[in-house]
Amino acid sequence: MAAPSIARAQGSKLLRFVPQANLSSMDAVAGTQYVVRNAALMVWDTLYGIDASLTPKPQMCEGHEVDAAFKTWTFKLRAGLKFHDGETVTTRDVIPSLERWMVRDTMGQQIKLRLDALEALDDRTFRIRLNKPFPKMLFALGKNNAPVALIMPERIARTDPFKLISEYVGSGPMKFNTKEWVPGAKAVFERFDGYSVRNEPGEWLAGGKRIHFDRIEWSIMDPATAAAALQNGEIDWWETPLPDLIPVLKKNPNIRVDIADPFGNIGSLRMNHLQPPFNDPRIRRAVMMAVDQSDYMQAVAGDDTSTWKTLPSFFTPGTPFYTEDGGELLKGKRDYAAAKKLLAEAGYNGEKVVLVVATDVAITKAEGDVTADTLRKIGMNVDYVATDWGTVGARRAKKDPPNQGGWNIFHTWHAGADCVNPAPYTALDAGGDKAWFGWPKSDAVQAGIAKWYDAPDAAAEKAAMAEINRASFENVTYVPTGFFLMYQAWRSSVTGVVKAPFPVFWNVQKA
Amino acid sequence: MFAYILRRIMATIPVMAVVALFVFSLLYIAPGDPAAIIAGDQATPADVERIRASLGLDRPFLIRFGDWLWHVLNGDLGTSIFTNLPVTHMIAQRVQPTFSLMVLTLTIALSLAIPMGVLAAWKHGTWIDRVVMIFAVLGFSLPVFVVGYLLAYTFALQLDMFPVQGYTPFEDGFGKWLGNLVLPAVALAGVYMALIARITRATMLEVLNQDYVRTARAKGVGQRAILFVHALKNAAVPIVTIVGIGFASLIGGAVVTESVFAIPGLGRLVVDAILRRDYPVIQGVVLMFSFVYVIVNLLVDLLYTVFDPRIRY
Repeated sequence: MAAPSIARAQGSKLLRFVPQANLSSMDAVAGTQYVVRNAALMVWDTLYGIDASLTPKPQMCEGHEVDAAFKTWTFKLRAGLKFHDGETVTTRDVIPSLERWMVRDTMGQQIKLRLDALEALDDRTFRIRLNKPFPKMLFALGKNNAPVALIMPERIARTDPFKLISEYVGSGPMKFNTKEWVPGAKAVFERFDGYSVRNEPGEWLAGGKRIHFDRIEWSIMDPATAAAALQNGEIDWWETPLPDLIPVLKKNPNIRVDIADPFGNIGSLRMNHLQPPFNDPRIRRAVMMAVDQSDYMQAVAGDDTSTWKTLPSFFTPGTPFYTEDGGELLKGKRDYAAAKKLLAEAGYNGEKVVLVVATDVAITKAEGDVTADTLRKIGMNVDYVATDWGTVGARRAKKDPPNQGGWNIFHTWHAGADCVNPAPYTALDAGGDKAWFGWPKSDAVQAGIAKWYDAPDAAAEKAAMAEINRASFENVTYVPTGFFLMYQAWRSSVTGVVKAPFPVFWNVQKA
Repeated sequence: MFAYILRRIMATIPVMAVVALFVFSLLYIAPGDPAAIIAGDQATPADVERIRASLGLDRPFLIRFGDWLWHVLNGDLGTSIFTNLPVTHMIAQRVQPTFSLMVLTLTIALSLAIPMGVLAAWKHGTWIDRVVMIFAVLGFSLPVFVVGYLLAYTFALQLDMFPVQGYTPFEDGFGKWLGNLVLPAVALAGVYMALIARITRATMLEVLNQDYVRTARAKGVGQRAILFVHALKNAAVPIVTIVGIGFASLIGGAVVTESVFAIPGLGRLVVDAILRRDYPVIQGVVLMFSFVYVIVNLLVDLLYTVFDPRIRY
């Protein structure tokens, strides 16, 4: 018979982790799923890495030189960097890795637009020459937002950026054990003894990434099962426990519970700007006037107000450039009569609004239910289409009219870490046909984003972000439904767990 | 007999061809897009479109079907869109947990349900019969996930007798293997016990009223021999049919139990693949399911001849 208690006492060099979702692939450049990014950050390293203040610090790089115009950047790799297959990391690997990343990442695309040359000077030194200044180069190379600028061996980095890689060799602190990968059930990472640890203290993606485990095993399981397994000591760390289960976990003296990501999340009500009735900004504004963020947040995160707040902004609260400029429409008591009046002025005449809701995802289901109720309160004719996330993912890409397979509204949420500034914030873009789903178009928003990219200092960045926020509210690029935090939980035998936008495995220890 | 078996095996080919066409067509028209899932929530519509093209999902139906069929005929079920792993490898990873769960579930179900059914038929109309029937009704009525969570709460969390979740391969030790499977197998066995006990009882009741049973009694044959040698063998054909159906349905039908106890079985594989629209995996697993169904049916038909020598093929 099994002896779970005995088994539990063994293997202090093993960390058992339950991730937020199934690790279905391992390419954080071709794909932007958070769970894939989180796994990839263990296996691949970055040239620079942000710390908890979002400041980029040298990681694979020893350092850099830049000219006064921020146009010529010269980087030098640290000596002794090795890939998991034993090969030395050189600029021959770095250049194709950056080229692949530049195709997929919004900041990478900005670099590519300005790029004159990306050239190797020797095995450890390379240079990026630009025709326009790009002061945010280090942030681009060190950010945690997917796609991350991961450095891969040349043969892997040459993969089409729209195809998933099939070999998982990096130079990060953990090796991915492909043989033991059971997609949908288990993923195994093993310590890379050849990893060259930096001497500085580790913080997020910066500094020394010291791994104190021989193996880190990810197990994918149902939330109720994960809660029981954590209480029973069969797992050590659970990335995203459901809010409903938090009170039970908090009562257990062997379990620690804390906020996972200090940047939290921003809920999103996304309208299709191409199709009636939301091709009329007045109707989009009427919806925003009716949205009560408290209702959304209670439905998403529960009654514990320490884990959510209303958010009259498109940006993450508590970050240096947070602004509420233009956010008046989301403040104060909701005025349904005024919203109805605006709908009437805009000529809304009971046309059907197709609300596509992924009911298999607790957050989008909660958001969708509140939206249906809100729209009905202001007299809109709601067609609530309950479906799964896989279908929403496909349907939201259709530009067809809603009665021909298109849509009017869907919900999602954005990681707050992606909303600290316009660079990783795909949902903020208002470039029309090339914008994110919903295809919002606003020259004012785009002008603000361009100003932010070119901003030479913090004051200019702040001004640009205020301008973007105002224009985004004016355009109703989307409707933020509030800001919410999520928990993580771990056994008290585990120490060193930090709050971050991704699970930080380095420097974690287990008694 | 040999010709019959050969004929039946050959008959699997058109069955699987129809299944292949049906599954492929169904997935083609079903909503959803693996490219959107790979790309993730931050990707732009253009990125999604490029990924779809790189996966070949923008090609016409007939070309995609023909390509897939050609590979299948060459013994290649393709590779997962997401993991780039061969589908055969992903299926092979999941066979042992599912097969282990099936064997243990049916062992528990058969070893308890058949004696219960026989006992209920023998003691027809008494309190024993009623207790067995109440158990059968409960077995049918209680959802497996409720039983599963109750078992896990009691025997894993409270009594610390078994692990809450997971699967240990057989080669890592029989004790660990069994320990991981006891709770899920018991949870799942409830339904099959109820079904088999009811069928056994009903069939035994019919058989026990037959003339030859009365004759056996008149000749002084003992009760145990009447029940388990004479009557049960004659009641076996419907029981074998039900066990066969149960065996086949367990291959992919244990998904709830697999999820509750985090067992990496075939049921979870196919459900995950459906949710992600991992077409090659869905197609490969469904083809395999259909093949196993056909083979199990064939085995059941052959078993009939063991229990009833009058049956000839």
